Amino acid sequence: MELDSKDLNAKERWEKAVSKATSRFPERKETFTTSSNIKVDRLYQPKGEEVNKELGYPGEFPYTRGIQPTMYRSRFWTMRQYAGFGSAEETNKRFRYLLEQGQTGLSVAFDLPTQIGYDSDDVMSEGEVGKVGVAIDTLEDMEKLLDGIPLDKVSTSMTINAPASILLCMYLAVGEKQGVPFEKITGTIQNDILKEYIARGTYIFPPKPSMRLITNIFEFCNQYVPKFNTISISGYHIREAGSNAVQEVAFTIANGMAYVDAAIESGLKVDDFAPRLAFFFNAHNNFFEEVAKFRAARRIWAKIMKEHYQAKDPKSWKLRFHTQTGGSTLTAQQPDNNIVRVAMQALSAVLGGTQSLHTNSRDEALSLPTEDSARIALRTQQIIAYESGVADTIDPLAGSYYVENLTDEIEKKVNNYLDRIKEIGGAVQAVEEGYMQREIHHNAYEIQKNIEKEEEIIVGLNKFTLDEEVEPDLMKVDEALEKGQIKSLTRIKEKRDNEKVASALAALSENAKNERANLLPFILDAVRVYASVGEICNVLREEFGEYQGV
Amino acid sequence: MGKKIRVLVAKPGLDGHDRGALVISQALRDHGMEVIYTGLRQSPLQIAQAAIQEDVDVVGLSSLSGAHRTLFPKVVEELEKRGAGDIPVVGGGVIPSVDIPYLLEKGVKRIFTSGSSTDLLANYIKELVDPQTTPVTAPKKIAHIGIAVESIEQASTFYLDSLGLQLEGVEEVQSEGVKVAFIKIGETRFELLEPLNEESPIRKFLDKKGEGLHHIALEVDDIHARLEQLKANGVALINEEAKLGAHNSQIAFIHPNAASKVLYELCQYPEGSEA
Repeated sequence: MELDSKDLNAKERWEKAVSKATSRFPERKETFTTSSNIKVDRLYQPKGEEVNKELGYPGEFPYTRGIQPTMYRSRFWTMRQYAGFGSAEETNKRFRYLLEQGQTGLSVAFDLPTQIGYDSDDVMSEGEVGKVGVAIDTLEDMEKLLDGIPLDKVSTSMTINAPASILLCMYLAVGEKQGVPFEKITGTIQNDILKEYIARGTYIFPPKPSMRLITNIFEFCNQYVPKFNTISISGYHIREAGSNAVQEVAFTIANGMAYVDAAIESGLKVDDFAPRLAFFFNAHNNFFEEVAKFRAARRIWAKIMKEHYQAKDPKSWKLRFHTQTGGSTLTAQQPDNNIVRVAMQALSAVLGGTQSLHTNSRDEALSLPTEDSARIALRTQQIIAYESGVADTIDPLAGSYYVENLTDEIEKKVNNYLDRIKEIGGAVQAVEEGYMQREIHHNAYEIQKNIEKEEEIIVGLNKFTLDEEVEPDLMKVDEALEKGQIKSLTRIKEKRDNEKVASALAALSENAKNERANLLPFILDAVRVYASVGEICNVLREEFGEYQGV
Repeated sequence: MGKKIRVLVAKPGLDGHDRGALVISQALRDHGMEVIYTGLRQSPLQIAQAAIQEDVDVVGLSSLSGAHRTLFPKVVEELEKRGAGDIPVVGGGVIPSVDIPYLLEKGVKRIFTSGSSTDLLANYIKELVDPQTTPVTAPKKIAHIGIAVESIEQASTFYLDSLGLQLEGVEEVQSEGVKVAFIKIGETRFELLEPLNEESPIRKFLDKKGEGLHHIALEVDDIHARLEQLKANGVALINEEAKLGAHNSQIAFIHPNAASKVLYELCQYPEGSEA
């Protein structure tokens, strides 16, 4: 086998990969044509020239043209809309609605107390319960959230970081109750703590113990939950915090390298966890730069994994990513204009070869999306997929002088940043020194000044403005929800077996002291007996301390 | 130079989005203020204590998580409880406009929503802290030069035929008893003013001084604020309140005694219209 594939030339090798892929996932149509009946090929290449090694073939190193041999000819990207607000029951209703509407994966947003490890009845949680996502205190909330949703059929992405281990364990515990074994559970946890220190702010513990929790998850999942994506290394929030496209890719990849280093240091082999690493990028307005950014990111990561970390498994080389359109590009003024922005950003992600996509709702600069707005956002993806034809051939912008130049330039500039971060001593050190935070802040301030000087035009904001604007219908979270959530938490704390909770928490505390121990089994035991997110985090706060910011 | 304005920029609650708070802090520093940024996750009590301890002139709150309805009023409350209710509190972030009246009612001075300019905020704070020292922002341009004439028909031949300028239109402004011809030149225009009746101020001007330069009009952004400011600075005004002028503009005249006998008009055009 090995010898055979070496003898084949690159094109034949790719064709072989295509026939293997299509036998599993046949292409959507037997032949693809344009409206004028022009045949659309799977792949276009320069005629009569050798294929540029920096581009290669789709599904092959360095993956500039995509990570699968057939890309969207077989299956579209996963349309995954982030949702979650208020109580677990309400969110469950929205999930069922979205699944009925043709959404193909779930994505859970948690409220801030859950993300920062406070129970709903904590004094710090006041005013925040159920505001930006669903409130989860104990396993009972998770059971309500996933009620009637078969965990062996649906893959779920959870935007959770500092307490990711706890929410993952709750998800697995619900699976257990449904009779779904761990090996069949699929989904993603964000679990990317470094960008929390840099850009998003929902950290709990200091970097070192946080990195330990992350490698504990890598190890546990490699052993017991092999289909779960253990981290989603996120540039999204770095971009939202005000970085440019190059910084987004550079800092994300630097963080990714820090996770790989930590895992290797803890004794894992690179090919044991690297195939489960996933990425999460933003899609902003500068169309071609965004397309080039995705292509460049894939190529940079592939080279790092293969050459720097000596990974042997091609799955370790592939940068798989989710994309969300840029929240900070939306305007509160003339919110319907945002539909157009989102459509173009989504298109750039598709032309950049994303594996899954969230399209923002037009009203996100005003409040949480209404059902109408959320539907339009999903329809936008469906229109791109089913009507535009852009998914009928692989990497259609390849070979554009402009796009290839942008791709090369982004790669170069990202590498400059990576060298700088290496000089500082790696991403963890750079975060602790506030290096990335400062770089992002400078850029954010420049953007703001340029907008105010009208050197950067935002339609409806600093040009083509309207005087009177009608406030659209907005989704509001019920203020009574906080009280209800606290009540049900109080009830749970009374009716559960508190002795079991105490002993599970004591075992967790004991093992947290031992740096070599994997904490996942102890967290799993604690959530099974309905210990709350806040209680578990408090035990860990006691052992690890809290991060104070730069 | 008075002492520097001190501002506390705070992030109440658990929200971690501090791009706006950081950009605003930087912008206010560039406007010469001293800014203390609290960092993330501050309780209303902590914010009030910090405001008092740091002896700030104003507190700016930023929230994007939807907790503003609970947390902003709490900050005001905590300040009041500690006898510091005179420190004004302003807020910003993702704040639906339906929530703004509620927040104002609860004692928040003003809400700046997404898309507000940092200059607007800085100037607002300067005015809030010390209305007397509000920096004077220069008028945008000369909107027009008004010339009193006995007859537009006769006077306009010089402008149109000899100078070759274009007539834009003629309009009667009944409230002023005047007929106006608009002649564009560069980014400004001449206005030839012909009295419509004996009561017209232009008639009185012609009787007293004969034909000639009548007034110069300056275009401004916020005519109401501008009039307040001129009044506060002791500038004599003919019109203390703005009134309706040609092209739906709002206008007011400054007394010639304030400006070496030249009559100045302030005018503000409705947003989006071509001045």
